[in-house]
Amino acid sequence: MKKRMLLILGLVLVAALIMSGCGPSKPKDKEITIGFVGMTLNNEFHVAVANGAKLKAKELNVKIDVQAGDQHASADAQLQIIENFIENNVDGLIIVPSAPEGLLAALNKAKAKGIPVINLDTAINAQVIEEAGIKVPFYGTNNYEGAKMAGKYVAENFAKGTKTAILTGIEGHKNAADRLNGFKDGAGDTIVVVAEQTANWEVDQGYTAAQNIIQANPDLQLFFCSNDNMGIGALRAVQEAKLQDQIQIIGFDAVSAALDLVESGEFLLTVAQYPGKMGEYGVENLVKVIRGEEIPQEIDTGTELVTKANLAKFREEMAKYLD
Amino acid sequence: MHWQEETTVTTSEKDITVRKERKIDLHSIAIYIIAVAIFVMFAILAEMNGRSFLSLSNIRNIITQSAVISVIAIGQTMVIITGGIDLSVGSVVGFVGITGGLMIKAGIPVLAAVFLTLVIGIMVGLINGLLISYGRIPAFITTLAMMQIFRGLCMLVNSGKPVAGFPEGLTRIMGTEIFGIPISIFYVFLTYLVMMTLMAKTRFGRYVYAVGGNREAAKLSGVKVQKIELITYALAGLFAALGGVMLLSRLSYADPNAGISYEMNAIAATVIGGTAMSGGKGKLGNTFVGAIILGMLTTGLQILNVPVHFQSIITGMAVAGAVYLDKIKERKE
Repeated sequence: MKKRMLLILGLVLVAALIMSGCGPSKPKDKEITIGFVGMTLNNEFHVAVANGAKLKAKELNVKIDVQAGDQHASADAQLQIIENFIENNVDGLIIVPSAPEGLLAALNKAKAKGIPVINLDTAINAQVIEEAGIKVPFYGTNNYEGAKMAGKYVAENFAKGTKTAILTGIEGHKNAADRLNGFKDGAGDTIVVVAEQTANWEVDQGYTAAQNIIQANPDLQLFFCSNDNMGIGALRAVQEAKLQDQIQIIGFDAVSAALDLVESGEFLLTVAQYPGKMGEYGVENLVKVIRGEEIPQEIDTGTELVTKANLAKFREEMAKYLD
Repeated sequence: MHWQEETTVTTSEKDITVRKERKIDLHSIAIYIIAVAIFVMFAILAEMNGRSFLSLSNIRNIITQSAVISVIAIGQTMVIITGGIDLSVGSVVGFVGITGGLMIKAGIPVLAAVFLTLVIGIMVGLINGLLISYGRIPAFITTLAMMQIFRGLCMLVNSGKPVAGFPEGLTRIMGTEIFGIPISIFYVFLTYLVMMTLMAKTRFGRYVYAVGGNREAAKLSGVKVQKIELITYALAGLFAALGGVMLLSRLSYADPNAGISYEMNAIAATVIGGTAMSGGKGKLGNTFVGAIILGMLTTGLQILNVPVHFQSIITGMAVAGAVYLDKIKERKE
């Protein structure tokens, strides 16, 4: 039994050795280490944020540790990661919060150690930041502006009175509200909203909601889906009803499946964010602030409409961050 | 394993007894050896990578981070010893968090809200216990159903929205330090001390083992099996609620998704600690070591910056490995 125990321990040891990319290396003095706390690493958007950060860290010759919660985006897991980073004396933290209001304890700990924090993608709740009493710069997509661009595209390319259905994200999510309002403001009176339902960002719920909407509005002309997942669900419902020629679909996020659908013409367009750039800006400015330089408190990392016309260029841009 | 026979007739027999005892000792401390080995392993690996694992503050971190699971695992272990299981504890953690959070937001004093949430935990446990022991619905199914019902209720009570912005009093429950030691460590030690004493020294404790060991025999010898089961599930609910309060205070944030898969971590801590899923056997103290092993794995792998997906794989391997060791131990006995 002892032998077996040793064997198992040995195996775990070897596994850990290999995966920690070990090699006896002493830390250099004054070497900057950044702790990157991701929301999750289970979808390509967040993988791209992390990879952007890693690329920039490599370029600037600083060390970066990337950790994220497992499948469940949880405030608890992120707090734990942040505690462990602080324990290991990181010089700065980049946080993509899984719960915008859930990081008060973590911010307090960073503040106590004087560790600067930069917030990417999903803004930490302003009240939480105020309560913690530290400055947390935010770099991310302006979802309202992105959706407004899509709305303007509709205003320019569709006839007045286009019968439109909107699938929105989880109620109470700021992103969901911003995208909804942005699209409506951009499209103005070009669209007539005949249905507006939440499908909680999910493919299957988008599918069901779209089925019901089409059932009730067989003359529908346009779906605006606040993320690509719901758009993919809506597409299935549209195909089932054999209304591809009548109903156009707009998505948001530009995930690779959606890019394929833009290519095949099944999506009219999708709104792209620049997750890789978020990671890059994050690391670049965090290093600056660690070195005592001033940095911007807010950066809009930009959005772009991806249609058939600029698809190739956009894919090239994204490929940098997804390997 | 629990009772050592006293045979002191001839010298040769005495020798055998002594040798047997020594062997038993080695088996029963295997879990501690593993825990220490993992600790040393991470300490060495971290040192080689220029990172810090072997420090007082890190040990503090590990215990604080494992505190919630450690406490939940107390009830889980007791339930598993009776031959049952409780899958609802994760949802109870979430439900207690969100209802407790709403109560505090509504102006109910923190301690009163904490008390009420503990009562909620006991009530959920009692429902589980009644359905299982008197309703004769299998524990797995009952608690699976309750897990889903209470996750739904988590979403329902505040329309899926989290609750934040709590008074200082809530944060202090977990945030206080006594002589530089986080108070959560005291909670864990205190609850374990009380419950280990209960399990080892009282009639109730022996009955819990008896119910899981041989339900029929226990019944025939006059143990009120159903009552014992009921109490055990109520305790599991209580400790889940306590874990929920601790999590709420630690984060100062109530998330309707809080506690998802905590039941699995509590079960993992229990089986790593050597408690048999078939019931009748197990030591509460070892469950704590199991929870600490899980905590060390998470912390250690994070400190070594092992990619997230591998962390899950390695943790899974550790759970399987621990149970495998236990099986070998069983066969040898």
